[in-house]
Amino acid sequence: MKLANGVFAAAATAALAVTTHNVPHVFLDPNAIGKDPITAWTTFNGDYSGRRYSTLTQIGPGNVNQLVQRWVYKVTGIGAQRGAPAPVIKCTPLLVGGVLFITIPDHVWALDARTGNPLSHYDWVDHGGHLIGQRGVAIWKSSVYFLTPDNWLVALNANTGQELWRKNYADSRKQYFSTAAPLVVKNHVIVGVGGDAMDMPGFLDSFDPVTGELQWKWWSTPRNGDPALKTWPNETASEHGGGMTWMPGTYDPELNLLYWPTGNTNPVFAGQGRPGANLWTESIVALDADTGQLKWYYQVSPHDTHDFDNTTAPILFDRVIDGKVQRLVAQAARNGFFVTLDRVSGQHLVVKPYVPLDYYSGLTPQGELIPIPDKDPTVGGSINIVNATNWQAPAYSPKTGLVYVNSVEGKAIYYLTDDSKQPSGYGGTGDAIGHGQRVLQAINPLTGNAVWKHVYPNLNNAPTTVGPSILTTASNLLITGDDQKNVIIYSADKGQVLWHHEIGANESGGVITYLLDGKQYILFGAGDSLYAWSLPE
Amino acid sequence: MRHPAFRAMLAGGFVVLAAFAISQEAPTGDQNGSSQQKPYQNMTTEQRAASTRTFLGLGPEPDKAAAKRGEPLFQRNCAFCHGQQARGATGSSLITSDEVLGDDHGEHLVPFLKKGRPERGMPEFATMSDDQLMDITEFLHLLVEDVANRGTYQVLNILVGNVAEGKAYVTAHCMSCHTAQTFAHIASQFRSAEQLQRGWIWPTRGDDSLSATATVKTPDGRITAGRVAQVSDFRITLVDAAGPTHVIDREPGVEVQIKDPLAAHQELIMSLTNDDMHNVTAYLEILR
Repeated sequence: MKLANGVFAAAATAALAVTTHNVPHVFLDPNAIGKDPITAWTTFNGDYSGRRYSTLTQIGPGNVNQLVQRWVYKVTGIGAQRGAPAPVIKCTPLLVGGVLFITIPDHVWALDARTGNPLSHYDWVDHGGHLIGQRGVAIWKSSVYFLTPDNWLVALNANTGQELWRKNYADSRKQYFSTAAPLVVKNHVIVGVGGDAMDMPGFLDSFDPVTGELQWKWWSTPRNGDPALKTWPNETASEHGGGMTWMPGTYDPELNLLYWPTGNTNPVFAGQGRPGANLWTESIVALDADTGQLKWYYQVSPHDTHDFDNTTAPILFDRVIDGKVQRLVAQAARNGFFVTLDRVSGQHLVVKPYVPLDYYSGLTPQGELIPIPDKDPTVGGSINIVNATNWQAPAYSPKTGLVYVNSVEGKAIYYLTDDSKQPSGYGGTGDAIGHGQRVLQAINPLTGNAVWKHVYPNLNNAPTTVGPSILTTASNLLITGDDQKNVIIYSADKGQVLWHHEIGANESGGVITYLLDGKQYILFGAGDSLYAWSLPE
Repeated sequence: MRHPAFRAMLAGGFVVLAAFAISQEAPTGDQNGSSQQKPYQNMTTEQRAASTRTFLGLGPEPDKAAAKRGEPLFQRNCAFCHGQQARGATGSSLITSDEVLGDDHGEHLVPFLKKGRPERGMPEFATMSDDQLMDITEFLHLLVEDVANRGTYQVLNILVGNVAEGKAYVTAHCMSCHTAQTFAHIASQFRSAEQLQRGWIWPTRGDDSLSATATVKTPDGRITAGRVAQVSDFRITLVDAAGPTHVIDREPGVEVQIKDPLAAHQELIMSLTNDDMHNVTAYLEILR
């Protein structure tokens, strides 16, 4: 992997300036980051809470059938990328100062939000890593932060697309790769990493937004005599234990805590070489945003052996319980459990399956599930659930008090292909069997029970790894899609279909909404195209 | 539950890209089931390995012939400290080591092995030829490949069940729909025990007898029946016996009844125990 050539190639294509009228100016006040998304969408989840909720009401149940397509931006000229035949937009766009920022692996575009016309394009030359997806950028003042598949944090000038600096934070030769959107909190650019082919440890990095200097690093597995090492057979196993941080976390400014979901344990399917719970993989961890220090953890999948990669957003919201305001965090986890915790202490309130499953025998006093060993992958095959959801964003509406998730009900046969005492890598396989059914669920986070469900009819299996994200609004809209190219808007309280429209591909990235020139837009990526909708003029 | 009746009856589903279906994402990046590439399951072992190598960005492919020459050299000279699979013994694991992962084809490792690391107890291998050291290097890269490239993974001997108990299960649970003829020579229809296990639990919808069918009644009283090509909340596509395709919008007043001949198998999948699965596979495997 030689980078020198790439520097020139990237610089040559970095600034494609196309101006039609007044050039919008991008400047995001750090104090405005993570606030309610109204005229801007400043973080992956819109605000810091992960709710993906908009207070806008211009588009509502009464006029949703009048929605019209305002423009479409189609990614062209990229072609097949290594291992991916056609570009798929899996990012959540950000909007600042009338400029939208979208990504696919190796590429960032700034688009004029009024027309969809490109203002700049940054092209990173492929030097390795996994081109599986790109979730989007982060913005601070007039800088845009982008993660490359081979683990470079690249800072760009938001107004020109020119590269300001770059910093490598992980070695792609160790099979680390990056798909994440960074998260900016105060003067920290928080960067997570992926890659579970080679038994490497996960970590979370915090960088200075101006200089790119590392401020702190938190490892997903314990070192140096940490008491959590007792959940591993030895320190070597812990140092090779996985726990990637490839989805953006959430943040509570009052508590100054980051809530980050950690990925699957390594070796992935072969757990015989790592007896124990394997902290802090498969967990929700609460970290001090200024130091990266661990305040508490809750392990969603102790001793995971099913690639239950705990990466769905931990959603933050407050509720009055017994006359007291409770600060909560809830997650519809990929292991099929819905959990609600006190986000100050990490104490559990609700731990309950939200898809049919039978792989646990009970809960510990800490509310952590006890897996049944017979359900681990075996040489002869072991039946267990497919991932109950994946990286596609869930949502929460404070109007209904419900958490919304596109779930999948189905089973797989898990084989152990490496039955040695020292397994490495995946060490097994998991093949879906039977019908994998996509089900949209509205879950009461105080009980874990679904208030309503919508089963998407489909003769084909739900693609468990790509799926529609969700957005809710104050006008009782829930915007998502099916696996048959339909964008669907439901009533958030009852799950009634209010409107649908067939487009060119399945919704594949995050849905956002915002007010621009007084008009509410709905914007989302589907396949290689970005669609902008609003009410007619 | 908006379509409870529908749900109970529909157990459709076609397994494509199965080995990746539950890892992070599917290798083709395809999302609409219209993959131009060969389904992952139908690939040869070599195609699967190559496809996964590209997908994961796993660097250059190891030289297998050199690795084969290098294996006995490794076992004689290195395995005592690093283990037969190089996953560590008294010495460290080489599979995840910086030196091995930072090397493509010996350009770093061969000079490294020549010098050894005497300060950490690793001897020099100065008397071995460059070719021999290169062969050891390729063997190490192959061991890494066997771990990192899950396209190379093979199931082990999955026949772990009890034949008599498998037969008892089939007698007790399968004969209300099937006859002995279903199972006669069933094992000879599959290439491997793994395919047999998958195939009896969830038969391929190869012919129309296993396709979901539907009857659709529109408000004008017209009834259309046929094989379901696809169904969503908003549309159903039927192919009738004579061949024409009917696309019917599911507007208010349109009634859809779907029957799936594999519904019982879907129910089975949701409750099958591992022991029953192993036992039935062991029993069916002897029916050749």
